[in-house]
Amino acid sequence: MVEEKLRWQWEINKKTSWLGVSLKELYHYKDLLFRLVRKEFLSSYQQTLLGPFWVLLQPILTVLTSILIFHRVIGVSTQGIPPLLYYLAGICLWNLFSDIFLNTSVTFTQNVQVFNKVYFPRIIVPLSVVLLSALRFVIQLLLFFIASAYYYFAMDVAIPLNTYILAIPVIITVAGIGLGSGMLFSILTAKYRDFMGLTQIILRLLMFICPIFYPMSIVPGKLQWIIHLNPLSIQFELFRFSLLGKGQFTPDQVAYSIAATLVLVIGGLLWFNKTADRLIDVI
Amino acid sequence: MIKIDNVSKMYRLGTIGSGTFKRDLNKWLRACFGKKPDPFAPPEDTNLKKSGGERYLWALRNISFEVKEGEVCGIIGRNGAGKSTLLKVLSRITRPTEGSIKGRGKISSLLEIGTGFHADLSGRENIYISGSMLGMKKAEIKKKFDEIVEFSGIEQFLDTPVKRYSSGMYVRLAFGVAAHLEPDILIVDEVLAVGDAEFQKKCMGKMKDVSQQKGRTILFVSHNLQAINNLCSRAIWLQKGTIHAIGDAQSVVNKYLGAFQKKLWKREWQNPHEAPGNEWLKILSVELIPHLDNPTEPIDIRTPLTVKFRFYNLNDHIHLSTNLVLFSLTGECIFDVPSTSGEFNKGVVEGECTIPGKFLNDGSYYFSLYFLKDASRSIFEYEECLHFDVEDYRENIHWYDKWVGAVRPHFPFTLRNYNVINNGVGVLKPHH
Repeated sequence: MVEEKLRWQWEINKKTSWLGVSLKELYHYKDLLFRLVRKEFLSSYQQTLLGPFWVLLQPILTVLTSILIFHRVIGVSTQGIPPLLYYLAGICLWNLFSDIFLNTSVTFTQNVQVFNKVYFPRIIVPLSVVLLSALRFVIQLLLFFIASAYYYFAMDVAIPLNTYILAIPVIITVAGIGLGSGMLFSILTAKYRDFMGLTQIILRLLMFICPIFYPMSIVPGKLQWIIHLNPLSIQFELFRFSLLGKGQFTPDQVAYSIAATLVLVIGGLLWFNKTADRLIDVI
Repeated sequence: MIKIDNVSKMYRLGTIGSGTFKRDLNKWLRACFGKKPDPFAPPEDTNLKKSGGERYLWALRNISFEVKEGEVCGIIGRNGAGKSTLLKVLSRITRPTEGSIKGRGKISSLLEIGTGFHADLSGRENIYISGSMLGMKKAEIKKKFDEIVEFSGIEQFLDTPVKRYSSGMYVRLAFGVAAHLEPDILIVDEVLAVGDAEFQKKCMGKMKDVSQQKGRTILFVSHNLQAINNLCSRAIWLQKGTIHAIGDAQSVVNKYLGAFQKKLWKREWQNPHEAPGNEWLKILSVELIPHLDNPTEPIDIRTPLTVKFRFYNLNDHIHLSTNLVLFSLTGECIFDVPSTSGEFNKGVVEGECTIPGKFLNDGSYYFSLYFLKDASRSIFEYEECLHFDVEDYRENIHWYDKWVGAVRPHFPFTLRNYNVINNGVGVLKPHH
């Protein structure tokens, strides 16, 4: 029996594992992972005039529109923070989530061609999405820091530097929510195309019930629970607290958000591993 | 080295919709709350069956075989025999429904060339993308980069997006990447059937090189039986998802050819009511008789063929003639040969026509018989009465591509040295 086991290095059968491939095997594919990130990054700016500048241009344009609509027209409070910084922080973080969520949710539907012809651990694709979105996020965050430096030195706006470190767990949590729910939706959309339309609607819904363009404090007390249902919400308050010093949160709200993230990430990962290798028959 | 043990693969037929959703939900609920037998479980016995409102197809059924290290194994079979499914299972793209595959060594599959190519990106980028998708490390690709570029001959266009490539260049680049893979086990689907003749020759050469390298195991699907004979030491013939024959390549290929040819070589009707025909005539038999020394050998382009047919003429004093028409499988008419004509009375009429060897090209063909009255009016058309394949045969020709042309006749055709001698009157004379 021992000899028999030693003779074979691998085995394929009908069983798929909840845990997926081993880290060792995953490491073996690291070149592919970085190659996919590079491919996506390069291909999204082919035949454009501004190329990678779109990474910066997109949040700038969104911020300008939000200043116009939310600040000037509707007159939503930004809690005394310069609106540019206020909206930029929210938009950077939201982009991170929506990038990861949307691009992960099409893992199977967009890659059928490739998945039908070649094997590699499918989890590589969501991971490459996370890496690329993180890269874009870092660039956008630099823009935010440049803007806050300007306000800090030129406009004398008080910016708390000692809470910056808090932003790191927030970023990880938001990326985790995006990845976990994206993986769940990637399986659902692969099986039932109905979910494709649903991802857009869910994304928009999440955006509205999330304090990106408005502070939590202006939401009427009776309705706050709806906003808090969204595990992303508290992260936006925390993010603004860490970078701009204004935010409203309680420990149990943070605990709920983290618990939801863990459920999504672990659930998404397990289900993804279990189903990924079988889905090709139904896509 | 690979060991395939009792592998089966089942596909659910039909569309995915509310039915499948209900099924998924049911399965899930049962998994959670109880262990009642699954009413939607696939059937065990037949190839295709309706069960619980769903239809299933066993694309592979109990496949077991072993491929040893360094062996080149060809897989043949008709369309839908399960060849591609088998390769997909072996390359981990889809899981088997039952059974297991065990192996040793790094496995790479080449089911398509240009996997992962991105049209907007340059040739250089795509070499890296496709290479890493096929399982190469970055360092490996770097090492082989120049070789790949040279093989595909695209130096000038390395930094041009591949969407601007000609289809030939695209295919060459794609194959160039694939040809430089170095796995222990290589799985190749019909990817060689692309590109122009010169390039195909190059590919076949490369395949041969690869297969002769020590310890390299190759599994190879092809419709090109010539290539299977040439490259493979062993062959597997799949039919309806099961192994029909396995053994050394030559004998399996011959068996394969033989089996399909005999089937429509002869048709005979004992009962005139079932026989094709009408008020003018009834067909009694049609037969294709190849002139072969060894009846187990396939028909190839050298084989003379005789078509014999009998029919019952139902009328007296009728002027009859017959046309024997040969079609390629795609429906193009190759030739239309009229018979002699004459006056016939009620009774059995027999016809015979012989097509010489070294005349037809290789391919699949069928005969139709057209019956005419008074050499002008069609009274019965017996379409597709005989089916047969003509196999290729080549001697001293290093050309593996399909020979073009509707026919492939052997006309006398010579080349010789020709010396020009001016004998003073300005006449050119051949030199002997």
